[in-house]
Amino acid sequence: MCAAISAQEKLQAAMQHKIVPNQEYLLQGSVLDSSKDVLIHRLRGLADNVDEQVETFQDRERVLTLGPVSGQTLTLYVRQAMDVRPGMDQSDTPWTMRYIGQPELGDKSRPTVLRNSIDVGCTPNVLEFLSEMGFKQDYEFMCKGLMFRKGRMKILVYKVYKNKTADNWEPLSMSHVVELSVLAPQGHDAVAEDVRNFAEQLKPLVQLEKTDYRRL
Amino acid sequence: MIIMGFSTLQTFPLIEGLTGPQTLDVLHKRITALGARVSGQFVVDCETYFSAPSLLPGNSQRVLNVLHNTEEPASVFAILEGGAKQPVLVADTLLDALLPKMAVLYTSNKKQTRIESKGNRYEMGDFVVKLGSVTMSGSFKGILVEVCYLACVVPALCWEMVWEFMQSFLGSTVPSTLPPYIQSRQNATFSPTDTIQMYLEKFNEFRKQTVAR
Repeated sequence: MCAAISAQEKLQAAMQHKIVPNQEYLLQGSVLDSSKDVLIHRLRGLADNVDEQVETFQDRERVLTLGPVSGQTLTLYVRQAMDVRPGMDQSDTPWTMRYIGQPELGDKSRPTVLRNSIDVGCTPNVLEFLSEMGFKQDYEFMCKGLMFRKGRMKILVYKVYKNKTADNWEPLSMSHVVELSVLAPQGHDAVAEDVRNFAEQLKPLVQLEKTDYRRL
Repeated sequence: MIIMGFSTLQTFPLIEGLTGPQTLDVLHKRITALGARVSGQFVVDCETYFSAPSLLPGNSQRVLNVLHNTEEPASVFAILEGGAKQPVLVADTLLDALLPKMAVLYTSNKKQTRIESKGNRYEMGDFVVKLGSVTMSGSFKGILVEVCYLACVVPALCWEMVWEFMQSFLGSTVPSTLPPYIQSRQNATFSPTDTIQMYLEKFNEFRKQTVAR
């Protein structure tokens, strides 16, 4: 008979043993729509899932903020999968809410941006729940694109759409966002090197860099 | 293990002259005499957070209850009270890691508000029985008995039989009506969030009373 341990104790233990993947190592860049296909071709050659169909995704993301109270706010990114797979109902598609911490750029020796990231899968009533909690929607956008994998790395190539009226989405720009990321537990700084090496292999098709959000 | 079925929850008053653990021991003997066997331990816990005073317009307050149930080990249940609606959000366990991020916006006094029901889990045919000792910030508050009937998911269709089974070891303490939360939903399909709602209902009753019954 095993003693019942409370869920919070379990999570605390997992946090202490550093097995919760809550750190994101990230590089970002962009390609013009006209050169996207060359990059996709290169990624098909480099990534793991080459013999299968490349995985597509379409997510609607809403950005909600709570506060401020004594200068503190909390921003959550609520994502809803819009691409309904065969045999699935729209109401079955997964929802996630995500917390993203302050990005740390570090000095030149640090290969990637490092930020805290907590992804929580949840039931579809999350928007109603958060608005009851006092969250207000800041803005929303749609992401549509392709996903590749290389080991623990995730490579996303997607286009961002903004909505003009209720369901009328139009592209934000003439280019695609390229994102290279790994989600790992605390202290796994070695994976950052893998990310940098992979980014090197994509040059000169796309220049992936540490984005300094303060300068945007 | 995925538990489908219908659960009901009730408080069990202490037997006169006996302490909490002694009363639980009497129940343990009664139910094992019926043929039930212990199949492990269970715990349902609840942590409560209060919205910061200036967070919502008109100084209204929301109470965020975060509950866990060992029966659904991969989920966290969040129930928001204080508004017009009482929405329930079911999320991954990582929600617990997210809550400290809103510590200033939703505050909690862990020592005073944490309440849990913990004890043995018994199996007997299609029934699962949980005898829980309720403690709030470390002090004993009472006994909660959960009885789950696995073979039916519509409360109205099996309540009478469950009621009869409960009387066999809980005697006359079994109320003749369904728990208040289930009464308006007795013809709907029962789900794990309904169990959690009943626990919250009982936990709130325990919080209001000052001494153990």
